[in-house]
Amino acid sequence: MWKWMRKNKKKQGGQKPSYNQSDTLPEFIEVLGHSEDFIQFELDGMTRCTVSYLKTMSDSKILNRSVLTTLNSHALHGLKEIKETIPVENVLITDDLKVIQTKVMFGYIMIQVKSSMEQVLLVPAVSLESRDVSIPEVEFSVVGPKEAFVETINTNINLIRKRLPLPQLTVKELQVGKMTSTRTAVVYVDGIADQDNVDTVTQRLQDIEYDQLIDSSFITQMIADNAHSPFPQLLDTERPDRVVSSLVEGKVAILVDGSPHALTCPTTVVEFFGASDDYFLPWHLASVFRLIRLFAVIFSVLSTPLYVAVLTYHFEMIPPELMATIVSSRSDIPFPPILEVIILELTIELLREAGARLPTKIGQTIGIVGGIVIGTAAVDAGLTSNVLLIIVALSALASFTTPVYQIGNTIRLIRFPFLIGAQLWGLVGVSMCMVFFIGHLIKLQSIGRPFFEPLYPLRFKDLKDAFIRLPFTKQVDRPVLMRSEDPKRMNEDRAKAKRDIDE
Amino acid sequence: MNKLNENQGLNISENYLVSPFYVFFIIFTMQVGIGILGFERYLVEKAGFDAWISVLTAGVFLHILVWIMYRLLQNGGGDIVHIHKQVFGKYIGGFLSLLFAAYALLLSFDVMITFIEVIKVWMFPGLQVWIFSFVMIGLVYYIVSGGFRVITGIALISVVIGLPILLLKFFPIQAGHTMNIYPNINHSPGQILAAAKQSALSFLGLEFLLIFYPFIKNPDKSKKWAHFAVFYTTMLYFISVLVTFVYFSEEQLKQVVWGTISTWKIVEFPFIERFEYVGIAMWLYVILPNICIGIWGATRVMKRIFPVKQIHFLRVVCISLFFPVALVAGRDPINAINNFAGTVGYYVLLYIPVLLLLKMISDKVRKRYEN
Repeated sequence: MWKWMRKNKKKQGGQKPSYNQSDTLPEFIEVLGHSEDFIQFELDGMTRCTVSYLKTMSDSKILNRSVLTTLNSHALHGLKEIKETIPVENVLITDDLKVIQTKVMFGYIMIQVKSSMEQVLLVPAVSLESRDVSIPEVEFSVVGPKEAFVETINTNINLIRKRLPLPQLTVKELQVGKMTSTRTAVVYVDGIADQDNVDTVTQRLQDIEYDQLIDSSFITQMIADNAHSPFPQLLDTERPDRVVSSLVEGKVAILVDGSPHALTCPTTVVEFFGASDDYFLPWHLASVFRLIRLFAVIFSVLSTPLYVAVLTYHFEMIPPELMATIVSSRSDIPFPPILEVIILELTIELLREAGARLPTKIGQTIGIVGGIVIGTAAVDAGLTSNVLLIIVALSALASFTTPVYQIGNTIRLIRFPFLIGAQLWGLVGVSMCMVFFIGHLIKLQSIGRPFFEPLYPLRFKDLKDAFIRLPFTKQVDRPVLMRSEDPKRMNEDRAKAKRDIDE
Repeated sequence: MNKLNENQGLNISENYLVSPFYVFFIIFTMQVGIGILGFERYLVEKAGFDAWISVLTAGVFLHILVWIMYRLLQNGGGDIVHIHKQVFGKYIGGFLSLLFAAYALLLSFDVMITFIEVIKVWMFPGLQVWIFSFVMIGLVYYIVSGGFRVITGIALISVVIGLPILLLKFFPIQAGHTMNIYPNINHSPGQILAAAKQSALSFLGLEFLLIFYPFIKNPDKSKKWAHFAVFYTTMLYFISVLVTFVYFSEEQLKQVVWGTISTWKIVEFPFIERFEYVGIAMWLYVILPNICIGIWGATRVMKRIFPVKQIHFLRVVCISLFFPVALVAGRDPINAINNFAGTVGYYVLLYIPVLLLLKMISDKVRKRYEN
């Protein structure tokens, strides 16, 4: 069935490349005329012309104050005269139907005169309704900037530009999505970002064949090097400061209109465990927190599989003193460890899903009710052991430490293959799973650059800001991964100039 | 075959090359495989507790061999298939290359069955070998299909993960008797050399340089890394032998099949005991690059000889390896295969200097002929 559908889709694509194309201007106006919010009227005053616009998209202030008053108070003949008189910037005259269509759909006012029906005058009167810039909620940080991206791309680019007032900061716009024609911007610093990376990103964005582009996460999946991987290959963030520091490192950012998340690439798996907080703290503290986070992730993935492996096959490994604790906790449990673990893991996943779908306040209640009530009851009823409850709760907690939400989802699900491996062949199964994932990570690429980077290919220079973060004075070079055209961040000699005592 | 085809597959685009630095990891991980888990016993059978001299002797021999291989590759330009073709012509050369591929497969096969045997003996006596070998070969297929760069990555990770296990050598030293090594040199040089031959078998793997040489960026710079790898392996084996000698008595060691695993048994931490389970599980990382490089090398040689895609060879090899791996069981057949692979490897190592000699002669003859 899927094959049939794919075939069908191809055929459609071949016949009609685009949905939103009309052949002539009257046809376009007629199609629009079916909508109630399309307004078209003729002016019979001093200037004779036809004004048409989308009521819901255009700003009525510009229309009433600048356009209509000008048209009514001057006797103007021809589009050129109107263009010169109307006190609005960027007015354009065109007969390109494609331009007319996109502009009108975005809220431009179209003015036609009888003498030349082909050419129209387009007055920008786009009304941009947007949410106010608010504090980041997904990637919260205690110190540091408290601005997050919003849904309008202009505001988002503004948030980036005001942090990086460089003429070299280049914004390339593309329209992606056959029906949605979503504005998508590729942002990079010219002269620092590798042109190859920019070209790859632009090329892949242009090649997207899909009807809709609702969010930046669509792009993550569509332009990923391996679309079947559970690992996100572009880093998404809602923090403008993080995007700016990525741009300065030589990365390329992708912004999508309607999405409060920016994507940066190329990225590495290690980067997903670095928070922007890491740069706001002294380097040793930041390094320790990073290591804790990394340990938490490893713990989160491996703890329950190891529990299953050890308790099912290798109980000799547990020292006698510890064995007593585990035996007393597990003596009443009727299930084998794997079943016990799966029940609890699924419960936790259930709570998480339920908590994520509910409004914040109810979500918290659900978390507490689920966590405490169900947990205690399950232990009391003898369905799971106390030890396991602790392990599962800890591993759930640990999986929340990831600063980037997307990788958190990956970690949530990755432990299930490990559980299967553990049940099949104990520790050997766990390490087989691990080898598979390491092999997978080595194979992965982000925009053609190795995803497992500071580890393989082993680049000691990039390890300075991977598992630990060395002080800023040591971060002399931009990451090798980016193949930056200007690899030095600063003048090394001046930064390292040593002063003698009492100087 | 015309001139164009002759070099087909030798010009590898730069994306697929690896830095000279990684030669260290590839050669090291290729040498250290399943052998280190139980090679001490065979040494002791030949030369008693003087076997540590044999290990060092073998190490020196291998250094010379690395030098010979680089001589061979630098003059020959390319890999063993190319050299064979130059020296022996298309048909005999191709046949010899195929034998080399078969040898690579034999090593992979040997490592796989030995690892499965270890798991059966130490962890799961009732292991369902069919499923296990299926999953394992699937894993190997997944990695090898990623190409040489991915295999190199696995080799790197294998060394990084395998290193901490070496620290475990500390425990048997604590429990051992250093006096064990003292009554030294009471074996004849002949016996020591016999043990050196025996230990050379555990060092097998560096001959794969003859296959992956074209994949090294600036191959000249990789020389020191290759030597370093051999040196490191020798030291590792040397220390292993010493530690095992310190821990076991000579008579006992002759009875112990897996000396190194047995020493892991005494490792104790407050939260974990019986470390051999962890050790064997971790050993998967050490042997996997072995298997992968073996299979990759074999299929690569086949690709260079026949005009068929490597991925097809890989599929055929994986499927045809599956049945023997799943079928071979029991200590005796595995021991026989081990010995056979070891003997073949020994002759392959001996063949390399001969090949250099033949190459030099054929070069001279050709030069004279051209003049």
